Formats: sequence, structure tokens, C-alpha cells
Amino acid sequence: MLQDIITPQKSRFADGVQTVMRGHENRSRGVMLLNGSLVHNARSESRGISARVTKNGRYGFSSAAGYTEADAENVLRAATENALFLDARAKEAGRSYPPLAGDLVTPWRPIVDFEQKRLIDACKTVDAYVAEKYPNLSSRRIVYREDSQDKIIVTSDAASGHVTYPRCYIYVFLTAESKSGAPVELFKAFGGAGSFEDNFGDLSSLYPEIDKLYSQLMDKAEGVYAEAGVKTVILGGMMGGMLAHEAVGHTVEADLVLGGSVAGPNLHKRVASDLVTLIDYANTAFGETVPLPVYLDDEGTLAKDMPLIENGILTGYMNNRETAQHFGMAPAGNARAWDFSDEPLIRMRNTAIQPGKDTLEDMIASIDDGYYLIDSSNGQADLTGEFMFGVSLGYEIKHGKLGHALLDTTVSGIAFEMLKTVDMVSSNITWSSSGFCGKKQPMPVGMAGPEMRCKITIGGR
Amino acid sequence: MSELKNISAALKEKLQAAGITKYACSISEGEKQELNTEQSKFSLFRTIFSKDASVTAFIDNRKGTASGNDLSDEGLQKLVDDAKAGAESSMPDDANDIAEYQQPEEFHNGPYEADMERFYDRLVEALDTVKRDYPRILLMQLIASHNKRHGLYMNSNGTAFEWWDGNYDTMMEFAGNDGEKTTGLGYGSVIMGDLEKPILDQGPLRMKLADAEKSLDTVSIGDKFEGTVIFTPDALGDFTYTLEENFISAGVVLAGTSQWLDKVGQQVASDKFTLRLQAQDDRLVIANPFTSDGYKAENVTLIEKGVLNCHLLNLYAAKKTGRPLVKNTGYGFVVEPGDTPVADMIKNVKRGLIVGGFSGGEPGANGEFSGVAKNSFYVENGEIKGAVMETMINGNLQDVFRNVTAVSKELVSDGRMAFPYLATEGVTISGN
Repeated sequence: MLQDIITPQKSRFADGVQTVMRGHENRSRGVMLLNGSLVHNARSESRGISARVTKNGRYGFSSAAGYTEADAENVLRAATENALFLDARAKEAGRSYPPLAGDLVTPWRPIVDFEQKRLIDACKTVDAYVAEKYPNLSSRRIVYREDSQDKIIVTSDAASGHVTYPRCYIYVFLTAESKSGAPVELFKAFGGAGSFEDNFGDLSSLYPEIDKLYSQLMDKAEGVYAEAGVKTVILGGMMGGMLAHEAVGHTVEADLVLGGSVAGPNLHKRVASDLVTLIDYANTAFGETVPLPVYLDDEGTLAKDMPLIENGILTGYMNNRETAQHFGMAPAGNARAWDFSDEPLIRMRNTAIQPGKDTLEDMIASIDDGYYLIDSSNGQADLTGEFMFGVSLGYEIKHGKLGHALLDTTVSGIAFEMLKTVDMVSSNITWSSSGFCGKKQPMPVGMAGPEMRCKITIGGR
Repeated sequence: MSELKNISAALKEKLQAAGITKYACSISEGEKQELNTEQSKFSLFRTIFSKDASVTAFIDNRKGTASGNDLSDEGLQKLVDDAKAGAESSMPDDANDIAEYQQPEEFHNGPYEADMERFYDRLVEALDTVKRDYPRILLMQLIASHNKRHGLYMNSNGTAFEWWDGNYDTMMEFAGNDGEKTTGLGYGSVIMGDLEKPILDQGPLRMKLADAEKSLDTVSIGDKFEGTVIFTPDALGDFTYTLEENFISAGVVLAGTSQWLDKVGQQVASDKFTLRLQAQDDRLVIANPFTSDGYKAENVTLIEKGVLNCHLLNLYAAKKTGRPLVKNTGYGFVVEPGDTPVADMIKNVKRGLIVGGFSGGEPGANGEFSGVAKNSFYVENGEIKGAVMETMINGNLQDVFRNVTAVSKELVSDGRMAFPYLATEGVTISGN
């Protein structure tokens, strides 16, 4: 854990500017077994100090790969010079943003380190289970990845604190041959926030899900191509989460709204059916801690939930302090930085579509000819809300019953049009948190959704 | 002796004291000066001082790697301890190895020291030019940096490489916007070795800004058909990278999932298609002088006139599979240009698309792809009719490169890689 050499630096903060200083350590651990061979075995740590100084709304930023008082002094000086460089050349008057509540935030989540041997042994145990039980696989990969952030944030005019973000995952990738001889693959991520022992104290708890993954892979090996066109589908919870993040979430990030996103002209307008409510959660949802809880952001804003769509109406954007002032909204703690050398950007945290009242069984039974799309391999969306998701796991629905599995396909559409077709929403949601969101910097994010019945364009062959 | 050389000497002592006789290490230090604009106004000036070190230890054919940015005595000791513990925890594998001795060498590439005043002026000029020449462009963000880095690589076989690298990098994020309509996001970037020419006149920037403006004028394709697709240099880059990942890379050869495992020496693509990986090339600004295995990098032709020359195997993959080693970092893609002007390629299209980007699911190992054509234009009887929305393309990667009908004489380099336009047949295009 970082020792606090940052707070004493506050006495050096200059008058007439707004300053945030951050001590920051990132740590990663990685192991990969490919068909039983250890092909990746690495540990990494990076630690440093950054300062962001704002003069009339213009940012000067500097960071150094060191953690001493001298490093802190140097970055503070360089950040101040950079802010003055821009301010001196600006042709228009700028403005500062208002001060915020000055609480001290110190949620306690320890980052616990384990020997590399323990991590390798865990992968070997899972690999042995898969190799022994499923010898007919053409390839298998077991990956352990852990990343954690430890930050001390000190501000001149907002909250300060010491926050930590540990998370770790085991990914299981299985490949088999399809009936045509072509390889098909599925993967599943296990784990979440916390350290190794929190998530993997009992590896045998993974085995039922690995068995299910294998069973789904065998279904996929016998799979068929989806029929292209606009179809009635049920998007599974993982797909719903992807939709919440990629297709809607990015368009309501205030910096992208300023860049012309479709959310700009649609504020306070209907963008989805009234069954759809979307919230970017800070740290707690439905009475439980969310997968990747955030308590304080890297501008010193206390993290709060940010409602985005309420009963189908677009109600708000995710902001940093600057854009919040621009739009007349309150910042909710979305300004986050990945590495010590990164400046905070507007990022999602735990973005979830709310559950409804339907059951998956009723939803399947209601469809005569359509698809149940369970999991996604990747997803992308645009300023216009045009999105595309790769579908790695799905099934036909014929006459109210599940049919053949699907080979890899894609779905696409315009988010604010497609969401208006949602007419059934399940009462449970599925969270995922194992990936990174990419926007100049990587960032761990959580996402969730219920099962939703809707109309969507599906690719085919 | 430079500070880095002192650090490397200290690291070597610690490795020897720990009884590690086989190892590879790299140390580097760098500085990035980065200017950012939001909505065409300078908003952020960032200066980053960075240091990095990485140690890989080999003990009885077991391998462990540790990396970090603490180059103090304690920090170096921790790296050595962590790498040693990693290796001791690992599994023996005869394929774990480092390159044999290579002649020590220094590599210098690009402008090591920044001229930020001149760079700032070039950026102001670029912003003014966008405003003047592309009035229907909303330039959301411009991120421009000078990057310098100095590093050392050494291993226990006596190899020592020292390198200095500097460049100016500019990335633009923009959309066509006429006040009412907006297009999808567009990106353009270029890496420069000097500031002699206006930034916008380099790489694909002007072409991409013009395409984004044109994307405001859309047409609808109502049906589904098999037609000609002309990939722009950017889109060809994406498809070429995916081709390499799916059929040629070490990962798919090790996993045994490449469908080209036994295709070396055979025709896998059209004879109009030649793909190289360049360690050094006058058409590129970036150089890739040595590999992480410790070899001085060589220029490699992966596919020569459609014939697969080799897979892209590092030392581990080569020893593991018994196949030939390739001394290349895997960056520096160049697809060789052809002899057809782009204008003629378009004139020859009866019905099809110019595809400027692709948003799709990652193709499976069989190369099947399906996704949305982005920044793309509908072509009929040799004329561009307008931009398309919600239009999907699907096909097979292998077919794309087998069915090439023309490669442009124009080659576009963004400083990292260089690609021409490429026309191919047999892709299914589905309108909305």
C-alpha cells in the first residue's frame, strides 16, 4: 500500500489555480497456460506521482516515475508551467469551475499479494481438470490476470482520499472442431473485485461453470448460421450489459456529447421504451457492492450514482467537473485515470440496465421464430448510437423453444431506435467486469443487464 | 558512463549475486510532451517523465519475468527477486531461450529533442486548416505529442543494444457535422520524423477528413448482393492485421488452430498481394530494430505475390513447433502497392462499396467475418453515389485476399505502417 507523502504537498499548492495531486501505483500479475505449456509468467509494478494544475480552465499536467518528495515538487512545478503556457496563448477568457465538498474518503479494501507459484498452481489445477475431463478439445487456454490500483488523491478545492481497486480473474478458453472441421471457441471469465483468495479460495467452485461452458461449446460445434435480417431476439444479460456500456453509455459521456453525439439533441426526450432504466452506479446497487466500486474520482469528486435513462427518457450525462459546469449538472465522480501518468477522463463505472418483471422462460415461450443471444465476444458503438456486437454464444428459438446453437455472428442497430422495441425485461440481471474499456487509456468497468426481448438486425452468412 | 549504463551494471551484479546465469534485461527512460485540444481549443499540456525496467530470468529452462519503474537499488533488487521467484515457480520448457550473441549496436531513430514551439505552431496551423478547408468537420479532439525514449537491452549471452528514439505523433478524432446531422466517429493519425511539412499534408489525414464530410450525404441500399469492395488503406490495415493474427501469428501456430499450418510455400492469396514486416523502411518513420528475444530485427516478407513464405514465429514458438524462427518484432506492416490508380479502381466497380472501416465481431479461426461497414461509400457503375449507414458486410478473410482484382499505385503511410487501396470480389453487402 502507498505511504502518504502526498498530503504534506498541499502546502505547496499555488494560489489562483486548481490543483489535484495523485500518488498512484498499478500492479499486474499474469499467467497463461496454452495446452498445458506456460507461455506467459510475468509480474509488473508501476508507481509515480502526477499533478494537474488548472488555470482559467486550462490544464497543465505532469507526472514522474518516482515516489519521493522531490518527484512531487518537480511534477507540481512542471504542471504549473504547462498550465501557464496554455493560458498565456489562449485567445479567449477561461473560467474556473466551482469548488466541491472537501471530505476525506478512505474506503478500506486491501491489496493482498500472493506468490507467483500460487497463481501458476491455480492455473495448472484448472488446466488439469479441463485436460482430463475433456480430452477431445483441439485447444485450451487458462489465463490468470490481476490488476490493481492504489491511489492517494489530494485536491485544493474538492475531496481527498486514499482508494484502492484490486481485481483478479481466471479466463478459460476452450476450442473444438465444428462439424465442418473449422475451429469454434468459447470463453468464460471468473472472478471480480478483490484479491486472489477472495475469488479463488476454492477452485472447484469453477468446475460446474466450466462443464456448462464445454456443453455450450459442443452445442456450438454443431451450430448453424443465423438467418440474416431484423429478428425478434432475447438479449442475454451479458449482451444487455454490453449494450448499456457501448451503445448508450459512451454516447452520454459529456465529452462525447460535446463532440456531437446523438445524446446531445435527445436530453429529456424518449430514447427507449418505458421498460428501460439505465444507471451508472458508483459503488452500491440493489443493496450490494457493485463489481468495481468507486468512492472518489481522480478530480476529488465524491462518487454518486448517475441516472442516465429513466423509464425510457434520457435524463443525464456522465461528467467531469468542467463539463458538469458547462451542462449545469452535478459531477458524480466519473473522472478517472488508469496509470499514474494519465490525466482523468470521463469514464463509466458500473453501468446497468434495471431488471423488470418477466421470466426468461416466459420470454422464450413468447417467440415463434427468433434467437436467444447469450454472450458477446466484443462490441463497438459510434457517436450516432450505431452499434455492433459480436455474438459468441446464442441459440435459435423455434415455436417457443430453444433450438440449434449458433455459429459466431453479429448484431447491429441504432441504440435509441432499438431500445424503443424492448417489450419484455427479465427480473434478474447479470454483471460482468473482466474487461477494459478503451478511450485513450484503458479502464476497468462493470456492466450489467437483464434479459430483454427486442427487435434487432442480426448478421448471417 | 550514462545513468542507464550504471543501472544496467548494477542490475547485472544483482543477477549474478542471485545466481542467475541466464537472463535478459531492458531498461529505458523517456519523456512525452503532449498537447491536447477539445473542440479545437488547446485544453491540456501534459509532460510525462517515465522509466521502465524488465528482467527475465531463466533457471533450468524455467522462465519468469518481472517489470516495473522503480530503478532505485531496492527497486532493481525487487525485480531480480521477483523474476527469480517467477522462474522457480514456473514449469521447465526446452523452448524457453534467448538469442545467441549478437554484435553490440546502437540504434538512433527520429528527432530525439523536441521543438515544442514549432510543433505548437504546426498544430495551430492544422487547426486553422481544418476550419478553413473542412467546414463540415467537428474536430472533437487532437492529441499531439513529442515522444523520446532512450533504452538498453542486454542478455547473458553478451548482447547489448542501446537505442534512442524520437518522433512527433498526432491523432485526430472527428465527425462530419452540419449542425443537424452527425456522422460516426472518425480517427486519423500520423507519426512524423520532422516538422518540415504541414501536419495535415501527411499520411491519411486530409483523405479521412474529406471522407468524414462526405459521409453526411447518405444513400440507402435496400437489398443484399455480392459485389466489389475497395478497402481504403486504413481498412486494409485492419483486415491485414486480422489475417496475420488468424493464420500466421505465433499464437495460432502454437495453438494449432491456424488453417495455414501446412501452407508455407503455397499460394494462399492473390498474386497481386505482397505483405512485408519491415524492421527498417524509408516509407515508415518508426523503426523496430531488435526483437524481445535479443535478435537484431530483419525485414521479412510474410506473403510474396500470394505465396506464404513463413509464419511469424518468435524463438519460443519456433523451438516449440520445430518451425523456422523469424527475427522480427511483428510491427511495421507494409503491403506493396500495385499499378492501378484509385480513380480507375472505382471506375471499374459495377456495384459495391468503398470500405473505410469495419466494426465487426472478431473473425473465428476459420476467417468468417461479419460486421458493419463504417465510413463507407456506395459505388454503382463506377460512380460514388453516397455514404452508407447500417450496411453490413460479410465474407471470409481468406477469400478477401484470394479474390483481389486490383491494388492501387497510391500507398498511404501513417509513419507506423503503409497500405495501398485494395479491391476484392465476393463480399456480401447487406443494406438496411
